[in-house]
Amino acid sequence: MSTLLDIQDLRLSFKGLRGITDVLHGISLSIAAGERVALVGESGSGKSVIARIVLGLLQETRSARVSGKVGFDGAEINTMRPRDRAKLRGTEMSMIFQDPTSSLNPTFTIGNQFAEVMRRRDPKLSRAACDARAIEMLTEVSIPNPDRILENYPFQLSGGMNQRVMIAMALVNHPKLLLADEPGTALDVSVQAQTLRLMHDLVEKHGTAVLFISHNLGVVREFADRVYVIYRGNIVEEGPTASVFHNPGHAYTRALMDAVPRITGAGLPEVPEVSDAFLAPMVRHDRGAA
Amino acid sequence: MSSVLRILLRRLGISVIVLIGVSMLIFAIARVIPGDPARIALGPNASAEQVANLRAEMHLDESIFAQYGYFVSDVLRGDLGQSLYTNRPVTTDIVQFLPATLELVIFAGILMVGLGLPLGILAARHRGRWPDHVIRVLTLLTVSAPSFVWAVILMLLFAFYLPLFPVAGRLGDSFDIATVTGFLTIDTLIAGNFSAFLDALSHLVLPSVALSLSGIGQAARLTRANMIETYDKPYIEMAQAFGFFPSRIAKRYAFKPSMIPSLTIIGLDFAAMLGNAFLVEAVFAWPGLSRYGVAVILRKDLNAIMGTVLIIALTFLVVNILVDLLIAFLNPRIRHSTRASS
Amino acid sequence: MTRALRIIASNPLSLVGLILVLMIVLAATFAPWIAPFPTHNSAVIDFAFANSAPSSRNWMGTDLVGRDIFSRILYAFRISLVLGVVVLIIATPIGTIVGLLAGYLGGWTEAVLMRIVDVFLSIPPLVLAIAVLGVLEPTLTNAMIAVTVMWWPWYARLVYSIARSEREEGYVLAAEVIGASTTHITLREILPNCLPAIITKMTLDMGFVIIIASSLSFLGLGVQPPTPDLGSMVAEGARYLPDSWWMTVFPGLAILLAVFGFNLLGDGLREVLGAEE
Repeated sequence: MSTLLDIQDLRLSFKGLRGITDVLHGISLSIAAGERVALVGESGSGKSVIARIVLGLLQETRSARVSGKVGFDGAEINTMRPRDRAKLRGTEMSMIFQDPTSSLNPTFTIGNQFAEVMRRRDPKLSRAACDARAIEMLTEVSIPNPDRILENYPFQLSGGMNQRVMIAMALVNHPKLLLADEPGTALDVSVQAQTLRLMHDLVEKHGTAVLFISHNLGVVREFADRVYVIYRGNIVEEGPTASVFHNPGHAYTRALMDAVPRITGAGLPEVPEVSDAFLAPMVRHDRGAA
Repeated sequence: MSSVLRILLRRLGISVIVLIGVSMLIFAIARVIPGDPARIALGPNASAEQVANLRAEMHLDESIFAQYGYFVSDVLRGDLGQSLYTNRPVTTDIVQFLPATLELVIFAGILMVGLGLPLGILAARHRGRWPDHVIRVLTLLTVSAPSFVWAVILMLLFAFYLPLFPVAGRLGDSFDIATVTGFLTIDTLIAGNFSAFLDALSHLVLPSVALSLSGIGQAARLTRANMIETYDKPYIEMAQAFGFFPSRIAKRYAFKPSMIPSLTIIGLDFAAMLGNAFLVEAVFAWPGLSRYGVAVILRKDLNAIMGTVLIIALTFLVVNILVDLLIAFLNPRIRHSTRASS
Repeated sequence: MTRALRIIASNPLSLVGLILVLMIVLAATFAPWIAPFPTHNSAVIDFAFANSAPSSRNWMGTDLVGRDIFSRILYAFRISLVLGVVVLIIATPIGTIVGLLAGYLGGWTEAVLMRIVDVFLSIPPLVLAIAVLGVLEPTLTNAMIAVTVMWWPWYARLVYSIARSEREEGYVLAAEVIGASTTHITLREILPNCLPAIITKMTLDMGFVIIIASSLSFLGLGVQPPTPDLGSMVAEGARYLPDSWWMTVFPGLAILLAVFGFNLLGDGLREVLGAEE
């Protein structure tokens, strides 16, 4: 399999009122075509900004400084013109967000939003063709009465329903890469599990590569082929999901795994804030696709 | 669409309550007047007998509640009393003077929306960069002076130094246009007199610009603030993640949701122009209701004052109902709600 | 407080606003000492210099009876500032209490109070003030009364909208649970959360009160001659346009400058206090 996303030595800092804040300290990460990769870390570890960099959104803000390489499908995102980056978004790569209901535009119908997204790839697409294709996609995410849903506004649907709509919308243009930032965290646990299983089947069927960003190891275990663990802007561990879970090498990964609540109810573990073991990287950055 | 109808009915209900309140307020203000209204009406030379007769005619000898009752029943019959200033029914005066004011305010309103919203959008899209700063200073300047100051400055610059526009009035003396609607821009077209139409338009330019300047500033500042708030919403990030171009995001995604909270205030600003018309009409000798209003106030012409305030409040309520309907039309959440909640 | 000052000073526009406001307050306070012709705030007549254009003797020219426009503007600032402060000091507490009660208590109190507020808000502000002044004598005190009558409902509406959303907050429920009185909850719990918005609005409103007050006197309904007032000075001079332009332009610019200063400062304060309009 060929490498789809190839991030090398990615650094990010923000210029603020109190000088420069470093967020990412040289991240390297790669995803092969059709591969499902998870990026795990606590909030504030810098995992969410990576998705915004891959999309090329952070590069367009004035306060962010991005350096390093972000190769996508043979092109270099960091040095691209903003217009060309925008062309990739929504067509070659797309993203789904944490809170589905507030991420859909409140003033347009679902059908309207589907048409907008589809016309990103083909501006001349008729509304009827858009609707037909949208119904097809909504059926794939097991939404009943998809033709009725098209006429609804997001606030008329449940959170779980909107989540499926968003997944369908993100995949409707057959992107090569799907970025998922804590998908469904805003939903309740059973709905979340259900939609993730759906998403898993769907990307497998379409051969879409996924960068799955999460703080929830339990979810990651079911979803991803490979896992990166990020801590304070550094990748501290990387490997196939099974091996990372069976034999976590880094102290932080172990702490993170202990933090997953269990039914036995041992409570949250003490996480040593800073120790030498924490800051020691153990990832070999020269590694290519798995 | 039935929920829009429900909103309309609910609004009308509230408006009736508010109108009753307004009538009480106006009535109360009118009763605060020092001195005997009958004596003021007749002047110092009238005999005590004449005054007593008029007092009886004006029901001034009866209880305050009875007086309010007479007031309301007169108003409902369209009888606002006699103006002491023009010696005509107040209703006749209002019918004559209101269209000129409405024409001015409507033109100013078009300028406010037509210039204020695009400026606000431009500032929001370039937040923190030079277009934003320039627009911020300019709009802050326009809201920082009362409209009569702008009227005087505009008149000095564009009527005297650069004689581009007429100094005063609504129409040149050489034109004789039959009154149909009272709106000269419409009446001149009905008369088929195109040069009169252009003349009426050129008379409108300076007064309506002077009247709208602070409204333009308010509308631009408000639009900017609401757009920026909308830009922080997740669905804008999602639109960006789907690669829509910034101009399309501004137009399709950010503008409509941010208009919904702006509209109420823009409606209020529009109403404020009904008040500020008092100032602009004074400068440009615009023969409208506001000039009439000032004239009757300075003469303590009670019936005319009450009539003028009442008709302005009524116009204001109508504008507010229209704005509410527009909001309901723009906001699917209201349009599609099964219950008409606020 | 020092942090607030630092943030205001770091924004050049707010700093300009602060300086403008300070200059105007100082000019108004020390008008009798600064003004080149301190006696010109009354019915003085000096026909030798009547209707003269700006010169080194009279920086902003003189009016029809020879009074120095610059001196009269300095005195007029006094009237504007006093009127603004008095109106806000009276209108703000009235509006705040009405808004707090309506927003916190809800139910019938809310319905009745807010309908009353609606009645006041449904007459365009200037028209209401004009109507009140129409039946009263045009004096400074009555102008203050008229502007106050039109002003308090705006504070009621602002505080009401905040109080209504705060009513559902956890800390209010917590206070209710321990049995705090309505007075305590509204004044000690909810009011502090309204203060940033109130303070910002007061700064911005200082400018608007000056606008409204000068509009009233422009129409001849405010402060009466010979007391100098910016609005009546513009009205008086407007009759002699375009020849004696200085009689209108300078008082007009004085209004613009004062209001602009308060608006810039209010804008800066809004950023510091994070208050919504």
